[in-house]
Amino acid sequence: MARNKRCKPLLNHVCPICCILPPHMNDQIVLNGDSTQKEWALQSIRASEQFRERRTIVGALNLNAAFNLATVGEKRRTIFDASTGTDLPGKRVRGEGDPPTGDVMVDEAYDGSGATYDFFYDIFERNSIDGLGMRLDSTVHFDQKYDNAFWNGSQMVYGDGDGELFNRFTISIDIIGHELTHGVTQHEAGLVYKGQPGALNESMSDVFGSLIKQRTLNQTAEEADWLIGAGLLTDKVDGTALRSMKAPGTAYDDKVLGKDPQPADMSKIYTGKADNEGVHINSGIPNRAFYLAASEMGGYAWEKAGKIWYIALCDRLRSQSNFKRAANLTVTIAGELYGPDSAEKKAVEKAWKTVGVV
Amino acid sequence: MRVTFERSGGFAGLIVTTSVDTATLPATETEHLQQLVQSANFFGLPAEIPAAAQPDRFQYEITVEDGNQHHTVRVGEASVPESLRPLLNWCMEKARGS
Repeated sequence: MARNKRCKPLLNHVCPICCILPPHMNDQIVLNGDSTQKEWALQSIRASEQFRERRTIVGALNLNAAFNLATVGEKRRTIFDASTGTDLPGKRVRGEGDPPTGDVMVDEAYDGSGATYDFFYDIFERNSIDGLGMRLDSTVHFDQKYDNAFWNGSQMVYGDGDGELFNRFTISIDIIGHELTHGVTQHEAGLVYKGQPGALNESMSDVFGSLIKQRTLNQTAEEADWLIGAGLLTDKVDGTALRSMKAPGTAYDDKVLGKDPQPADMSKIYTGKADNEGVHINSGIPNRAFYLAASEMGGYAWEKAGKIWYIALCDRLRSQSNFKRAANLTVTIAGELYGPDSAEKKAVEKAWKTVGVV
Repeated sequence: MRVTFERSGGFAGLIVTTSVDTATLPATETEHLQQLVQSANFFGLPAEIPAAAQPDRFQYEITVEDGNQHHTVRVGEASVPESLRPLLNWCMEKARGS
């Protein structure tokens, strides 16, 4: 879906999904959706109406002042508990500055979203998901034995896991970083969630999720495990994580879960329809390109490779960009930042060549 | 009647599949499954139910073959009609058990 730039400054504060769903679809959901969908849709309609109202009032006033935005560099985290139900956001259980609750999911969601905010602010001077100080809302204990975490367009949602195959979805900080980066992508490149642009969207979430973990652990590219979701699989499962950026396709091989389906290069790209045409499958290709480029450059991966990818995400990639476009753009950016004959530019070029994209 | 089910996507990106032929089910279960298909108005559902663009949500594909009727529905987790949910839950239970 094309990104609606006009919506950009407001989406984050008052308009949870209005930029994702066209208004007629919201109306449709109010008529036909389940209770949760109806609530979201209603909230969205109310919010956009409220905004239109306010916009006429605030006129030329500074948007930040109009929406009482937080001071730059100040996080605003709120954790909600869905108590195994599906109504969002659920009951408020911890706000910014509140002490730990003792509920491990609540506290992990709080700490993980804090680490994510700090990463984007300290490294890229980005003030939250939208760059305008957006609140960081998370709901934990969503649904019963829910084996998933997702970004619904305005907040993060985490399931408890079934306990048999999956532990709680807040267990790994890169999952939290992954979900929040979906929010960043939504506000920046707006990569559609299907096919190659969708796999790039997924890959951006894995890249920055992993970088947030690496920074928290103070690891260089060489020291990092480059795993996504380490600790998420229970000890009953034969596997170390859900994805490996370093060696896609090797994260697990289990009798119940099957084998990690990620391709490590273009020769094995998935062309089926499942998973929105393989967004979580083909992300292995750009994931490995990032790992290869970062490893070749050495040092902390967020310093150079991370910067190149961040600029691509915010300024160059478009909603329909494919792998080849991402490859060309990141090579160009590396040349601009470090010079046309730089080792950094060569590292990015070599990485995309190794995975067969260029 | 034959029901083929696939759940893909989610943060984990796992593909979970199952296929159930009523010829292999006890009569009571066959009857229950037929009710689920009927109350979902399955053959009247569109082939694609557009989903809100919510990253990491599940995607479902379900096919029912019954006599000369044959229909496939693809739907995102955020757009599952209430009437279809019990059938999806039943299939997911089967997929977990098999």
